[in-house]
Amino acid sequence: MRGTADRWVLLAYRMPRQPSTPRIAVWRKLDRLGVARLGDGLVALPADARTREQLDWIAEEITEMGGSVTLWLARPGSTAQEQAIAAGMRQARSAEYQAVITQARAAASARPGERARTAKRLQAELRRIGRRDFFPPAERDAARLAVQELSRRSAPDVTETTGDSVEAAGGEPR
Amino acid sequence: MKWATRAGVHIDRAACAWLIRRRIDAEAEFVFVDDPAQVPSGVIAFDMRGVELGHHGGDCSFETVLRRYELTDPVLWKIAEIVHEADLDDGRFDAPEAPGLDVILRGLSMTCADERVLELTGPLFDGMYEYYRRAFLLGRPPA
Repeated sequence: MRGTADRWVLLAYRMPRQPSTPRIAVWRKLDRLGVARLGDGLVALPADARTREQLDWIAEEITEMGGSVTLWLARPGSTAQEQAIAAGMRQARSAEYQAVITQARAAASARPGERARTAKRLQAELRRIGRRDFFPPAERDAARLAVQELSRRSAPDVTETTGDSVEAAGGEPR
Repeated sequence: MKWATRAGVHIDRAACAWLIRRRIDAEAEFVFVDDPAQVPSGVIAFDMRGVELGHHGGDCSFETVLRRYELTDPVLWKIAEIVHEADLDDGRFDAPEAPGLDVILRGLSMTCADERVLELTGPLFDGMYEYYRRAFLLGRPPA
């Protein structure tokens, strides 16, 4: 588990209050990237090629929308404060993984078609969470297992259609 | 003509460079810079902040180049959907090819210099173009 990132990329921005639609669009995009919110109009991500580019383009978008924005590379002033920020991000992801686990368990008793659809949706959700998961919490593995289990149980069951091919269907759960 | 883009080439820049060479400027020469201020004068910059050929209105640079040079080839626009999702991953298009392409380009940028990435991805995009051209003519995935 990575506890610290050492280098961070910071985006400081201001946008006009009205119209509110672009402001909300930017807020949502930042959410999707899993940023830490350090203050009003100040967000941070651990710096790498991808996060720098992601924030760079959001900066460009904010400029085009008439806002003002600066992008910074930064080092934390102390390990303790960095760990507090990382812990907050880890907790946010933990809640997202927990929601996946809850949905996977709830779908276990659904009808087969519904189960398969939920499994697919949760797989995609896990991929999305994974991309903004910089400090993986313990729930990550549990969420992966829960979705794997659901996918396995929603695979087409050959015994239901042909009756006599238990072995072909895989028989024992792995 | 000379063209400039950011160093550390990824999918959008690689795809733009291919598109420029194939459709806009066969003699194109590319320079890679770390900062927009390093772009030499008289050079066309792409996929950088603050330039015409960048991300605009939710489009990635590849889509911007297609619009700017009025390239309407549907095969190129199909490739644009994949590049868009590999670059931005915002779910605007259904492009299951995108995550794979993203991995390939990320990996190449870890092992190769920028010039080499363009050398290697040229034939890759040529192949993709041919594949989607045939798919377009057939109306289904070609063998």
